Amino acid sequence: MNARIERDNIVTQALGQIGACGLFLLQILAAIPRSLRYVRETVRQLWFVGAMSLTIIMVCGLFVGMVLALQLYHVLSIFGGTAATGTVVAISIYRELGPVITALLFAGRAGTAITAEIGLMRATDQIAAMELMAVDPLAYVAAPRFLAGLIALPLLCCVFSALGIFGGHLVGVTWLGIDNGTFWSNMTATVDVWKDIISGVVWKSLAFGAVVALIAVFQGYTAPPTSEGVAYATTRTVVASSIAILALDFVLTAFLM
Amino acid sequence: MNAAAPSDDTLIRIRGLTTVLSGKKVFDALDMDIPRGKVTAIMGPSGTGKTTLLKHITGQMRGDAGQVQVDGKNVPELGREALYALREKIGYLFQNSALLTDFDVFENVAFPLRQHTRLPEVLIRNIVLTKLQAVGLRGAAQLAPSELSGGMARRVALARAIVFDPMLILYDEPFVGLDPIALNQVLKLIRTLNETLGITSVLVAHELDAIKQVADHIFLIANGKVVAQGDPKTIAGDGSPWTRQFFGGEADGPVPFQYPAGDYAEALGFPRSGA
Repeated sequence: MNARIERDNIVTQALGQIGACGLFLLQILAAIPRSLRYVRETVRQLWFVGAMSLTIIMVCGLFVGMVLALQLYHVLSIFGGTAATGTVVAISIYRELGPVITALLFAGRAGTAITAEIGLMRATDQIAAMELMAVDPLAYVAAPRFLAGLIALPLLCCVFSALGIFGGHLVGVTWLGIDNGTFWSNMTATVDVWKDIISGVVWKSLAFGAVVALIAVFQGYTAPPTSEGVAYATTRTVVASSIAILALDFVLTAFLM
Repeated sequence: MNAAAPSDDTLIRIRGLTTVLSGKKVFDALDMDIPRGKVTAIMGPSGTGKTTLLKHITGQMRGDAGQVQVDGKNVPELGREALYALREKIGYLFQNSALLTDFDVFENVAFPLRQHTRLPEVLIRNIVLTKLQAVGLRGAAQLAPSELSGGMARRVALARAIVFDPMLILYDEPFVGLDPIALNQVLKLIRTLNETLGITSVLVAHELDAIKQVADHIFLIANGKVVAQGDPKTIAGDGSPWTRQFFGGEADGPVPFQYPAGDYAEALGFPRSGA
């Protein structure tokens, strides 16, 4: 009986969080026109969540491409299809691994930072101080970070994909001896700009960017003003973002296929 | 609709303010008139809602009933734009300073100017340095908030609160953490701002000696109401049990020292008396 009540509470709480998050999204969207006067703040956040995430995105992209080429080469060699290694690496990265892994890394690197920063701003009355100085914190704090996430993730996904394919080339061509011309010509002949690159790198990344940035800002904005509250909010950002990214990936893949 | 505009000498008029928080009645039909151009102190035992009252005045909180009129406008009825327009005319000093940690001291003081004006950089610089000079921290303009002591941070927050020369400044515990030199300077500054610019000041504080030096009028609130009011010289001697206990620092009186709790002996595990 107690277990059932507890389960019901968890479900109610989760649904309540999703509803509150949806209402918060509407508030941010309404605040975006007002936030346009804080362009410098948006650019500053773009630097913080985008440019400062480049190292982790580039390194991870390179290694994902290298591992993918190595695994595929050995599987494809069973069927005598090693010439398709470049193609499969590219399609895997463009359609799935690029947007998904970039979004997961972004949630861990930038999402947590956004949540912790806003949570501490609230705990130290900085948000209240802005309100009392007649500066709308939704327009000055929340909207620029949301926009920065929305813009940064597709750009980071492009970098991740480029480095991933470079990593695949490094292993496939330089190390395992696949012909350089075959690697590139098979890839360019098979990869479709609209179906593979636009739907994966652009649409999925935009959706993931919006979701991760929204969750990060929402968790920070609603974090209890205690050290434990901020810590939990930061954890929730990673957990909720990861689940949302993977669930949304399934939905988007079903629609974009 | 706003009620009738207050007379010229009343900047803040509170009528029948009732607020219930977590089942506890913080204000019970509170009435209060805060005069324009004076220094008014709000005192009372801890937990009586002094900071909460400031939050009602700035529109951060809304009561369950009653009116809070500031400069003729009923704050709970104001929309976002009107509320922000009113807040531009109010300076607020937080208990914990609430400096923006991403900016240095200079940018913290310049922040309201940059957000609400299009003043040239030279003028912003001059205004900010003037305010920092007034609080004795012009030399600290380039320091980060993390490099300041608690007292210094409070003085920077004060410089930020007065940067717009507001019509009203609300000070929430302004004297906590100040050394005697800084305390005297802040007292002088509050008095000077009041006398030279006609700024109305409302202080929430416990330091009776400091309040006596600077305040024109004192409200003592307890149990959700104003229990005593008057000028600093006469209020302590009005003879009521509230003022006798509060200004005399006595443990016994209408304000209980102990937070409501169950039987002490039982909590310690002893048998209840008479059982």
